[in-house]
Amino acid sequence: MADKSTAMKKYMKKSEIATFGIGLFGVALMTGWMPDYTATYFADFAFKGKGFDSGTMSDMISMVFLVAGIVGAVCELVIGYLVDNTRTKLGKVKPWIGFGVIPLAIISLLVFVAPNTNSQTLAIIWMFVIYSLYTAFSCAVESPSNCFGSLCSPNPSERSTAISIASFLRSVGQSGGMVVILVVGLIMKAAMGEQQYKNAEAQGLDLLISTAVCALGLILFVMIFFTNNQERVPFTQEKVSLKDAVKVVFTHKNLLMVSLTKLAGFGRGVYGTVSLYIAIYLLGSKDLKLALLLPMGIGTAVGTLLVNLVLKKFSTKKTFILFCFYGASSLSILFLVSKGIGFNDGLIIPFLILNFFCGLQHGNTNVTPNIMIADCVDEIEYKTGKRQEGLAYAGYGLFSKVASAFTKALGPWLLYTWSGYLASTDANVAYAEQADGTLDKILMIYTIIPAIFVVLQAVPIFFYDMVGEKKDMITKALIERREQNAAEEN
Amino acid sequence: MAKAKKGFNAKLYAVIVFFLVAAILASITVITFKNRYIGFDPEKVAVAYVESIVTRGDGYNAYKNALVSKNYKYGDYIREYYMYPVIYAECNYKPGDDTDTLKGYNDESYMSDATKNDDGTLAGAVIDRMYPYYVELIVKNNGWDNYDVIFKKYFRKLAEVRENTFGDKYLTDEIMFTALEANVASYGEELTGTDEVIDENTKLKISEKKLGLYEEKFGEDYRITCEVVKNTPCESLEGYKKSLNKEALETYKISVDEINEAVAVVIEIKANGEKIGSVSVNVVKIGGTWYVETFNTKTADLYNIAPVEIKNPYADLPRPKNK
Repeated sequence: MADKSTAMKKYMKKSEIATFGIGLFGVALMTGWMPDYTATYFADFAFKGKGFDSGTMSDMISMVFLVAGIVGAVCELVIGYLVDNTRTKLGKVKPWIGFGVIPLAIISLLVFVAPNTNSQTLAIIWMFVIYSLYTAFSCAVESPSNCFGSLCSPNPSERSTAISIASFLRSVGQSGGMVVILVVGLIMKAAMGEQQYKNAEAQGLDLLISTAVCALGLILFVMIFFTNNQERVPFTQEKVSLKDAVKVVFTHKNLLMVSLTKLAGFGRGVYGTVSLYIAIYLLGSKDLKLALLLPMGIGTAVGTLLVNLVLKKFSTKKTFILFCFYGASSLSILFLVSKGIGFNDGLIIPFLILNFFCGLQHGNTNVTPNIMIADCVDEIEYKTGKRQEGLAYAGYGLFSKVASAFTKALGPWLLYTWSGYLASTDANVAYAEQADGTLDKILMIYTIIPAIFVVLQAVPIFFYDMVGEKKDMITKALIERREQNAAEEN
Repeated sequence: MAKAKKGFNAKLYAVIVFFLVAAILASITVITFKNRYIGFDPEKVAVAYVESIVTRGDGYNAYKNALVSKNYKYGDYIREYYMYPVIYAECNYKPGDDTDTLKGYNDESYMSDATKNDDGTLAGAVIDRMYPYYVELIVKNNGWDNYDVIFKKYFRKLAEVRENTFGDKYLTDEIMFTALEANVASYGEELTGTDEVIDENTKLKISEKKLGLYEEKFGEDYRITCEVVKNTPCESLEGYKKSLNKEALETYKISVDEINEAVAVVIEIKANGEKIGSVSVNVVKIGGTWYVETFNTKTADLYNIAPVEIKNPYADLPRPKNK
């Protein structure tokens, strides 16, 4: 029988926890950088001076990202299914990460190498093909790398620690691209002179070099992970059909509840749509947009570590709910303080400080669901005898992508329709004056509306029950079963 | 299960992958950089210079590929030599002086209520009033070849027009750039025409469709191209160097000895495939990068392909009321 001490045995070397995080850092360095900068590159640099119709190009760029979203959603499921049917000496997930990074790095760079064509049709086809390819390859690496956490140790506590630390490094990696472009810019300026740097920047060449640096970082960090980390949870041998596999995503209660948090909380991210307008209208300068995002980013990173501490005291369920209510409260306080001070210079410092505290909640959404999914994978294995990390994380990824599409639709609707925002019609005035009611609504889009969705995302978790005694029992039973299987194989 | 057994050496694989992918990434980056960055190719530099003037009437931005932009950010050169002398006129500013210790018209104490409360209406009026003067400068000076005269006269007039419009002497480099660049853009639009633009959110018309001078002359679907027809390396580099304006080069912080190659590139300009003009552009190499040498490159004819007419003087425009 597997006793408590067996279940709590440490399996991972300390360096493995670090290199797991380094691997996720490397993947995030690339994938966190790509979407925004690709949009900028396609819109402003790829076909500069070609005389293409700007309206058509801007519509097509939106379409490129819509199609890529659909490609990504399909790939999530397909890759998840393929991962679960992968059985190699290296494991089921590692080959996808270790071999997939090569095409991912190269395709990522090729996104910033536009063809020299005067045909708008060819240019549009190229954008669709190259970005869909990037989406497919990023899915083939990112999705398996996210589910490695559930395979790194059979010990749920050790696994949670590894996932927390890795998630922290991943969230740092997501902003790493911004640092890379800053450093690349400084080096280019020093090497070429300021005006020649500006000329190169006008061709998007700083983006090209920065992407090459991020791609090299991806390879370096993933290879460190690849050589040092091992999958320690044995995969099950049964082949899973695609139909059965997809069923798992939608019919397993606990897994579905975790995935539904994404859908229920889809409006959490609408604050991003108005951050520029918050900087301009409420704080007085559009230059403050970066200053707005920075405290929130730092808050997110700190929150990721904080969640790890809270998880030592509380279950994943309680931690998730606790952070959701904390998040809603901090956003409400930000709203009340902003209203109390008024929209003037005096608001800047309190707003930025409170922004840091609002960012803490994001640490929860970065870490806790990943740990919950790992627990769900155990539960599914316990019930069915089949271990399906690939699909479990793919299902969560699929819901995330759908939620993200809803966010992208809701944000602009709230800003341009609901708030009554007036765009400037004067060529010499960048931002028109707004009515007080509009400013209040912009503040609500940044605070109260996300707060409502933060509470809503906690609702499915009330039905989540893979905690406490049930979790301990399943962990012990699985260890016992694996020991028995190992003994039979020997 | 999890540990890789014989037959696959993960460490060796990682090292090979790292160096292999690094080589591929470096190759793609270098090839793309060389293709897209024009500074390594004298013909591309010359064509970019001429294209800016021919397609948009923009001799101002064409200088971003010229010698003036070798050691300076072009905007910084304009600030130092043409804007600060106007902004710090009361302090007898000389290029290179530390402006932190000087009090110029960019100090907030020069702001009137009209400046403080302007929502863009008066600033827009200044731009509108300056445009006829800008056109007059370009026409009378045959383009931007004599940039020294254009910058000096334009900014002096801008200070006067702004003071007349706002009733104060407040003036910053940002105000000066905004006005000049808006006028340069308007001049370009007179040539190319403008499309009707509708704001996607408000569905309001932002700008009207206007036919440009090029459209009138060559048809609405006109296509202007600049092609290199001849590339002649300078035979006597030392003799050529002596012909350069050393005084101006000093202001660019360039020594004539730094020039290690010079080429004359002849460019033919065609509209819808038919030749409409040609120009010889002198290009010099410093280090590995090529720059247009503007002292001996004459572009006056390029501004006469479809001449823009001088407008009514700015003073005839009604003075707008401030809110």
